Amino acid sequence: MSVPQTSALDSIAMRPRPLLARLRFAALLLAGAALYAVSLNVADVSPARLLEGLPRLAGWAAKAWPPDFSEISVLTYRAAETMAMATVGVSFGAVIALPLCLLGARNTAPSFWLYHPARFLLDMLRGIDSFVFALIFVAAVGLGPFAGVLGIALHSAGSIAKLWAEAIETAEPGPLEAAAMTGASRLKVVLYALLPDVLPAFTSILLYMWEFNIRASTVLGIVGAGGIGQELKNSIDLLQFDRVLAILLIILAMVTTIDKLSAWLRRRLS
Amino acid sequence: MSQGLRTVALSKSYGHVSALRGVSLAVSPGELVVVLGPSGSGKSTLFRCITRLTEPDGGEVYVGDRAVHGLEGPALAEVRREIGVVFQQFNLVRRRTALENVLAGRLGSAPLWRVAAGRFSRADLARAAAALRSVGLERQAHQRADTLSGGQQQRVAIARALAQESRVLLADEPVASLDPDSATAVLELMRGLTRSAGLAVLCTLHQPHLAERFADRVLRMEEGRLLGDAGRRPAASQAVERAL
Repeated sequence: MSVPQTSALDSIAMRPRPLLARLRFAALLLAGAALYAVSLNVADVSPARLLEGLPRLAGWAAKAWPPDFSEISVLTYRAAETMAMATVGVSFGAVIALPLCLLGARNTAPSFWLYHPARFLLDMLRGIDSFVFALIFVAAVGLGPFAGVLGIALHSAGSIAKLWAEAIETAEPGPLEAAAMTGASRLKVVLYALLPDVLPAFTSILLYMWEFNIRASTVLGIVGAGGIGQELKNSIDLLQFDRVLAILLIILAMVTTIDKLSAWLRRRLS
Repeated sequence: MSQGLRTVALSKSYGHVSALRGVSLAVSPGELVVVLGPSGSGKSTLFRCITRLTEPDGGEVYVGDRAVHGLEGPALAEVRREIGVVFQQFNLVRRRTALENVLAGRLGSAPLWRVAAGRFSRADLARAAAALRSVGLERQAHQRADTLSGGQQQRVAIARALAQESRVLLADEPVASLDPDSATAVLELMRGLTRSAGLAVLCTLHQPHLAERFADRVLRMEEGRLLGDAGRRPAASQAVERAL
């Protein structure tokens, strides 16, 4: 009984692709290759210079061992500062993101006239890196972790709002309609029927953003916005490679621990 | 008619497909009217246009003396309090308990802070508890909605409509997702409540035998039109025809 089916399938598989489709595919492949070649050139990729630089790198690597943990208390304090910045920054970001995600989700936006400005605002916040925000805030509020907190808050507000809005848009419409039919206002519907269902997704997204920002904010110190990045920059400037190695190991330990913790918590949520 | 539910020449098309072609009907308090028709006949569109979950192209809807058509925002929400609804897919908030889902029936009247804090008044809690009791689920009160069986979920949805204390109950294919025994139990419950609470009930179904068994009146629907009254209570249908 499967014989006719098989032969039908064979005839489909055996049919050659039309010439036009093949030509289009070849043209696309060529265009891609050309773009890649141009990119290699523009990016100034030069294997020769990498070879020249290798001995220098090896020299630094040799000087880096053993890592210099003599200032471990300062370094752990700075690492803690990075974590604190990310935690407070993401929490501020979440507070900004909550109204923004409700306005920026198609199914909860009260009107077209609020949806588009909200989307524009969150795309802007998301499009500008916390590093760039921090650079501006260092100039505005001075050096130190507070500038980093503000940078993280603004950038992560955009990212959290976008991911939260996506979670809201995948929520089932039925329970929301049922709640609306009880005569509830839009806000009551959101509070009572929407938030309980999206809460696990919201929490998971928040944890991910927290973890991501701890990783990302290790560099904020480079622009003077506090945290362990500050120590990293100082040590590189002073060519103290053993201290650089110690800092990198601390960052690695911190980021790995947080990654594992966050992944474990998110697994428990689902 | 100053009580119950009434529609006048309700119409809706999607593109050039007419889903509703001038549907007029009336349901009195204490009466269970079934709209019977195959899928695609416009039953769900009728349900959605009465509730304004979908905007009809034309026509009028009255609950008692109050017009539902033409209202917007808070005024629409206010009149929706008078319309309890039961959906085919139950539409409970899955992660809330049965009792919390029944309390949703009080969302229209409860102050915002109580809704936000999840702290309903004693009177509302008493209403919700009574509603759960009348659908026979008081023992499942603190069970999460998504752990209940289909039949139980639909009874919670009915209790939600009861807690709302509306005068009208609309049910769109309330038993289409249920096994035969649960379906019978749910329809029996709805008929009982029609009598005891004096609700005006409009229920869409696609199974003729269930319609025959539970309805006071059956309205047949085909291609967006009501085909006339196949009623079992001639007096009531004459009254309706006079009203129209």
